[in-house]
Amino acid sequence: MIDRLISIDRRIIFGFVAVGLIATTLWPVLLPIRPTSNVRKIYDTIENLKGKKDAVVLVSFDYGPGSAPELQPAAINILRHCMTNDIKVVGMALWPDAVGLAQAAFDSMSTMYGKVYSRDWTFLGYKTGMATLIINMGQDFRSAFGQDMRGTSTAEMEVTRSISRLADFDYVVALAAGNSLDRTAWIPFAVDRYKVKLGGAVTAVMSPDMFPYLQSGQLNGLISGLAGAAEYETLVKAPGSAVRGMAPQSAVHVIIILFIIFGNVMYFLQRRRDRAVRASA
Amino acid sequence: MTKTRLSIMLAAALAIGAASAWVDEPAMAAEPSLTETTGGPSAAQLLPPLPELVEMSDLPNDNGTGLVVTWTAPDTTVVPKSVFYRVAIGTSPDGPFYPAGEVNARLGLRASSNPAIFGWSPKNEGLQFLVVRSYLVPSAAPGGEPERVGIEPDRTYFAQFSVVSGGMEATLSNVLVCAPRQNWFMWTKLNLFVFLVFVGVVVLVFIELARRNPNMYIRKIAGLDAVEEAVGRATEMGKPVYFVHGLEPISNISTIAALNILGPVARQTFKYETELKVLNNDPIVLAVSQETVQQAALDVGRPDSYDEDKVMFVASNQFSYAAAVEGMMVRERPATVLLMGYFYAESLLFTETGGHIGAIQIAGTDAYTQLPFFITTCDYTLMGEELYAASAYLSREPKLLGSLRGQDLGKVVFLGILALGAILELVGVHWFTRLVTPL
Amino acid sequence: MLVLKRTVPVIIAFVLGITAIAIYFIPHQKAQDLNETLALWDRIIAAFAFFLGMYSLLYIHGQRIRRRQAGWGYSAFVYVGFALMTGTAAYNRGHWVLVAPVPGGAYDWLFDYVFIPAESTMFAILAFFIASAAYRTFRARTIEAVILLVAAVIVMLGRVPVGALIWGQFPALQEWVMSVPNMAAKRGLLLGVYLGAVATALRIIFGIERAYLGGSGE
Repeated sequence: MIDRLISIDRRIIFGFVAVGLIATTLWPVLLPIRPTSNVRKIYDTIENLKGKKDAVVLVSFDYGPGSAPELQPAAINILRHCMTNDIKVVGMALWPDAVGLAQAAFDSMSTMYGKVYSRDWTFLGYKTGMATLIINMGQDFRSAFGQDMRGTSTAEMEVTRSISRLADFDYVVALAAGNSLDRTAWIPFAVDRYKVKLGGAVTAVMSPDMFPYLQSGQLNGLISGLAGAAEYETLVKAPGSAVRGMAPQSAVHVIIILFIIFGNVMYFLQRRRDRAVRASA
Repeated sequence: MTKTRLSIMLAAALAIGAASAWVDEPAMAAEPSLTETTGGPSAAQLLPPLPELVEMSDLPNDNGTGLVVTWTAPDTTVVPKSVFYRVAIGTSPDGPFYPAGEVNARLGLRASSNPAIFGWSPKNEGLQFLVVRSYLVPSAAPGGEPERVGIEPDRTYFAQFSVVSGGMEATLSNVLVCAPRQNWFMWTKLNLFVFLVFVGVVVLVFIELARRNPNMYIRKIAGLDAVEEAVGRATEMGKPVYFVHGLEPISNISTIAALNILGPVARQTFKYETELKVLNNDPIVLAVSQETVQQAALDVGRPDSYDEDKVMFVASNQFSYAAAVEGMMVRERPATVLLMGYFYAESLLFTETGGHIGAIQIAGTDAYTQLPFFITTCDYTLMGEELYAASAYLSREPKLLGSLRGQDLGKVVFLGILALGAILELVGVHWFTRLVTPL
Repeated sequence: MLVLKRTVPVIIAFVLGITAIAIYFIPHQKAQDLNETLALWDRIIAAFAFFLGMYSLLYIHGQRIRRRQAGWGYSAFVYVGFALMTGTAAYNRGHWVLVAPVPGGAYDWLFDYVFIPAESTMFAILAFFIASAAYRTFRARTIEAVILLVAAVIVMLGRVPVGALIWGQFPALQEWVMSVPNMAAKRGLLLGVYLGAVATALRIIFGIERAYLGGSGE
């Protein structure tokens, strides 16, 4: 029996996880969310831009549909935060898969808050290059993005008229599921060379990678995964999919921990049994 | 309320030093003094005094598009919050002067907060500064938006410095002057340059030493010793060996390290006549992998054993790649799976599937976030540098062995610097930290 | 021919490698202009790599269909998916390719209701796999395994709100684990990784490392 439980069929574990997820999704439980300091730093940075004339924030969408459940809520709420405070927003994408996601975010938030394309926001679209694109933007923004996704000239749009280089943006927030934040683009080039103020939002599995950059000041704030997005939703007072996702995430974490405890109990029982068998032999 | 502008006559002499090849001499400081004008309240009573020392100089280590204005910082405990220091820039000593920037007197940054520009002198704590890169020129068209004009190198600029509060403004009447210069070397990165040269020289020297003495010692790496055993297992079971590349392109160091491992692995599989499948996510890595495997077949004298279709491009999208590789694993049930390179979220998908089909799995990655998944689910894991060492370990090539030894020496030196710096910081000695701080 | 395949790439790698390193230390505008030019070239080459990938994909799957290899049906599906997405993107709701993408068409529908759910599903499988992997491997066999186990439990509970409900200190403890031991380990690992990367890059620049050329690298 112990041996069967130790090597339990993984489909039983899948079943428990599925039940936990489905139950907490169908019968939601709202858990209290306490924003952490790393998330608060991004919030405070954007909040401090309120009232500043012609403040422009650049939001980079560097993720795909696979990471959208974690990063899209953060993206939407950063846009919401900027738009409710009349801060102009420019979007771009370093991943081609992010274009549809970014457009959806901009469309929904601009409609909700009555923001006008070209005056209050624009989306530049996707360009290849990663690091080299950042270098281009750092030297001459217009040569990197002469037009936005709709073909409008960046020199003519009110939202980008005052931007000639990357450093002209008041704040940059990069939402990354890959290595564009710390290895290939933003920190090594935008921050190191062009001294941009940078905030990051990453999937939960990547957040341990970002702590050294937080400590060194290269990143001024970090939103980690769905939990970080839930904290940001709490700060902007717009609970949405991230806050709702906390209950299922908590349920799965608890289920995993219970299984770990169960597995260890079975392991120690097996060891005790084997020792007893050896002793009696 | 109309703005009351007080004009202040000052007597001061300006001297401009000749610019050297590396550093521009700052403009001489302006000595402020106040003269009351008729009518209106005295500036000395209503405004804080102008700073004692105001200078404008070239922004160092740049491409000549920046100027920096410094002045003696006020007593921030008494200066009102409404006081600003304002700089206006013009291209002629008589003006016009256009707004370039302003700094709140109480909140303005101290020069000590920017060692990249000012260095580490304790005197910097008593200075505030403003970096000027552009100025706002009114639009030629009536009602148009002002235009931001950038500072250009090798052009002489003149600046007016003012203290502003509410509707009042007191301006230094003698004008600051400076011509920014382009610099040919970024002195703030000298420490990085020295480290780079040091590591480079050490690596090259040890490569040369390894060429003369190829029997350099490398400690045992269990995962690499297991490769031959794993290939042997696949041979006995009559099942293929899978070599799964990570998601990064050829420009990534871990992909190059993976290719260095692919060569010896391919040679072993050809020697034992075991089927090898190489799964690629990038077309350029595919091309290099094909050449590597083909060469391996030639090296063991089995050129006909090479089958181009077995070194395949699977998909470039992350999860398409994961789904395709998992599907192949479940259908073909390889005995051995080698995961080498930089992985992302698909790492656990691969290893769980590999564990489910009972394959022996050896992973090598420098992806820090995926290491926990590999360590817990694979039989052997090469962590970080071990992946780079793997190519030297398997091939015993002098250039790779020497490079490894050079890296180790570099690491010892850096660890020594870290330890020494930490001890000195603990006892309050900061010069060493400043010496190695990247600015 | 060997000169083109072996010598010329090594020379290009040397010249451009040294140039890129030098540009990092030279702020002069001429260096920055060169940097921008090289960056533009790199982006153009990267864009061409896309076509190379597309050709490789279609060629390999075409071969499989032609030879009726095992699983050739999946290869046919690759062609169907490729044609569908390319066709709808090119059609662009009747406006074709010379205008900016028009929202709300078949391409958007396929992206939103096929591509996104498919990718999200693959990513979501991880939640289940992590659970089964954790059950199988988080056993307190050794001291190190116990430390790993305890750290995993602290971080898992500290990252979600329920952890704070169980014990108020879980979030702070999680923060400490991430900020101190995790960061120390990461920095140690990264020190070695980046030194290795520098050494490998120098080997490539000086033509000692030629694995990227394929063959035996010699």
